[in-house]
Amino acid sequence: MMRTIEIFLVIVIITAAFIISSFFAVLPLPRRVSPINLRRLALTTLQTLDVNYDLSETVFKSDGDPAWSELQIALSACLPPNMVYNLTVYDVLSGGTQLYRSLKSISNAESLGVASDASSYLVASSNVTFNVIPEKIGARGGGGTLYILNCSDANGWWITGYTAQSLAEDLNNLLSPYFQRTIMVQNTAQLGQILNGTALQGETLQSAVVINTFGEAVPIPSAYCTTPYSTDSYAYYCYFLGQRVRLYNWTWLSIVGYPLYYVSNTGLFLSDQNTWGIYGMKRVGRSEHWDGGQSGIHAFLQGLDNRPQYTYDRTSLIPSTGFIATLSLQVLECCNYYGIYPSPYQTSTRALKDSILSDYHLTIGLKIFDSVTVSGTTYNPGALYNHISKSGSLLALGLTRTPDIRLTAIGLLSYYKPRLYASEYTAAGTSRLVVLQLGLVGGI
Amino acid sequence: MAGSTIDHLVSVTVFLGAVLLFISLFNQTIQTAILYQRHRNLATKCSDLLDNILLNPGIPEDWGKKDITPIGFGLQDPEFTQYRLSPFSLMRLRSSIGEPVYYPGTGVYYSNITMGFGEYLLVSFTQILNYSTAAKLLGINNTYGFQLTISPIVTVSVKETHVGNPLTLTISVAGRGFPLSNAVVSYCFLKVVEKGSQNSPSYSSAFGIVYTDDTGVAVLNFEDVDATKSYALIVYAHLSGLVGVGYHQRVSADKRYVIPFIESFEDRRVILAHSYDVHYFGPPESAVFFNATFVLLTEDFTLREMPMENATGKIGKVNYGKGEKFEYAPLTIPTYNPGILVVTYQSNNEYGIILMPWGISSMAFPVTFGDDPFGKEWVATDIRQVIVNTIAYQAKLALWSLEGYQVIG
Repeated sequence: MMRTIEIFLVIVIITAAFIISSFFAVLPLPRRVSPINLRRLALTTLQTLDVNYDLSETVFKSDGDPAWSELQIALSACLPPNMVYNLTVYDVLSGGTQLYRSLKSISNAESLGVASDASSYLVASSNVTFNVIPEKIGARGGGGTLYILNCSDANGWWITGYTAQSLAEDLNNLLSPYFQRTIMVQNTAQLGQILNGTALQGETLQSAVVINTFGEAVPIPSAYCTTPYSTDSYAYYCYFLGQRVRLYNWTWLSIVGYPLYYVSNTGLFLSDQNTWGIYGMKRVGRSEHWDGGQSGIHAFLQGLDNRPQYTYDRTSLIPSTGFIATLSLQVLECCNYYGIYPSPYQTSTRALKDSILSDYHLTIGLKIFDSVTVSGTTYNPGALYNHISKSGSLLALGLTRTPDIRLTAIGLLSYYKPRLYASEYTAAGTSRLVVLQLGLVGGI
Repeated sequence: MAGSTIDHLVSVTVFLGAVLLFISLFNQTIQTAILYQRHRNLATKCSDLLDNILLNPGIPEDWGKKDITPIGFGLQDPEFTQYRLSPFSLMRLRSSIGEPVYYPGTGVYYSNITMGFGEYLLVSFTQILNYSTAAKLLGINNTYGFQLTISPIVTVSVKETHVGNPLTLTISVAGRGFPLSNAVVSYCFLKVVEKGSQNSPSYSSAFGIVYTDDTGVAVLNFEDVDATKSYALIVYAHLSGLVGVGYHQRVSADKRYVIPFIESFEDRRVILAHSYDVHYFGPPESAVFFNATFVLLTEDFTLREMPMENATGKIGKVNYGKGEKFEYAPLTIPTYNPGILVVTYQSNNEYGIILMPWGISSMAFPVTFGDDPFGKEWVATDIRQVIVNTIAYQAKLALWSLEGYQVIG
């Protein structure tokens, strides 16, 4: 009998254990088992209401403005009928311990039920202009001067549809915020002045950037229209330019086509034309060589390489056919940062051979376009070349006409990488925080 | 001795019985808890899957505008971030509501979203993405079943309250749970201009703006539109960021008309077929003359006509194919911007107008994609508010498990 009693005692103990465990093992309500993601719904509701910036406008309006009742109607209309909400707008404060101050609240119920969730959304006033201050190139070291060749007494080539002066103006607008000084070189005499090492407006000459806006032509001061600069139809002048670029540690920019193919001075070459009807310019190179223009870039690179002796060289550095060039990843990333968006695909017919790196002791500081190999030879459609002496650089964009100066600008900015300082986003009175809290009514 | 044996037998029997009973009781509690966990997991999966579908554009990201099967499924508009969906990717989903339409002229079936007479979206089966492919691309094939519903938040309904001259139309604008009072209603009224029995008709258009009253209703009156005239009204209602679309049309020819079929997204090619070729109404019938126009919704909610070249079939006629030789007219939509293809038609001096959205949002067509959740054991749902080319939609995903566990209690 005792065993039976003991067994019943065991049953009582296990029953008690079951009841106690059932009491504590409370299963959640079905609503909590399979809930609607109210946080996401609240966020997407706020985004929907702000799709045309209506929400951003409304939250900055005064308390009695009818836009508030329209917002409430829209909010009620876009949520299911079994949903309760509370939308609260906070002013974002700065300079004190309190970060947010409640401004207005709209709701369709007194309480939000047993379970609710919320999302916040920061909106900015449409009246606010956000300012971006760029870092100046040269602020952390030498240089910081931008020379833009705007010579009124020279003509350009391969800039069809533009004039060098209009390109200079656009480049000035695009790039001057990034440089300490921007100097427009207004004529060839001023170009001669800086080539002689004399500053035009007291600017820093050393480590400057010089943009040649004349395409395949380069302006030549009258002082350099004599021997020895006129040797090989001014190929020697290009050699001299290379020497000066090295001497002053300049970065020379060629914006389109074959660099230094012609020299231009409308006052001196009155009766000379480039065989295409553009007067005031002469093709570089010996007249008996139809392709002598190619000697200009060789001469320039010899000067940059500090060769003691100039040598006439007209070897072709470009491919026989054009190809499509693609912006490099590094430059594409900078497009977003600086807000300059040229087409990532360009046609290149004047890409320079990769062999100039070894021939003239250059390194590539930045590939603006990815290299392309044609018939076993590698070409760079657009790159910034540094001399290994770290004195003097050349940026050559070997694209076909007409030039897109945005490529010049983004190439230069991608190399120097000046930082952009945005103004403070949470300035007082310019931002409001909207919090939408949602709850479900009905059901269990 | 016998007493203790009986005592032993009784106690052992009772003990074994009690153990069995308690095993069953505890097992039931544990099983219920596991099921709750699984349901909770299903709800989480549903939310994640919905975000996964809505926040990625798929691979390739412009698959909605191409004639290829994507290798990654997503509906986000690649030109935007957040919950903005591509109006073209949505067009390529096979509708699970409308009965597919077979057109013998091309020999293929078409996915069917029909909102009423003359409001069609028929997409070739060779272009659509079906449910099983989408499930595979999402990695839930044979694991979960789902149904995705994208429906407009704002409902704009148009009713004729006076048929004769003047024509009176009542527009009702409502959201999910509330009428939209004081909403701005921009409308475009297209009236078919009759040009005789052997000519393609054209249309005249009138634009305007009205406001809804406290009950979300606005009334429009149009002079010189008697009971025999064919017309279409396209309405855009907007209030505080919410935008909805409504439409209504009246035709005098509802047997012989043209039916637009989308043949290629990449080439933007649409074909217009004679209705008798599709519905097998009977003996040979008259040709249908048509005049096609493409209209775009502008930022100020007015419609702007976009020219279609004559060479692409702007004006023409289609004959009934008599069951043997089918004849259809090809059209090329001039742009990838969402808009509405408006086709006015005439046959035997009976007139009408057909509307087809190019981009699901331009006529706020709803999309239902996937399997039917009816009868499934446990269905988790989640919703998001989304934007499809400025039109406010709600995306709802219903998800259930295919692993076969039962619901207890």
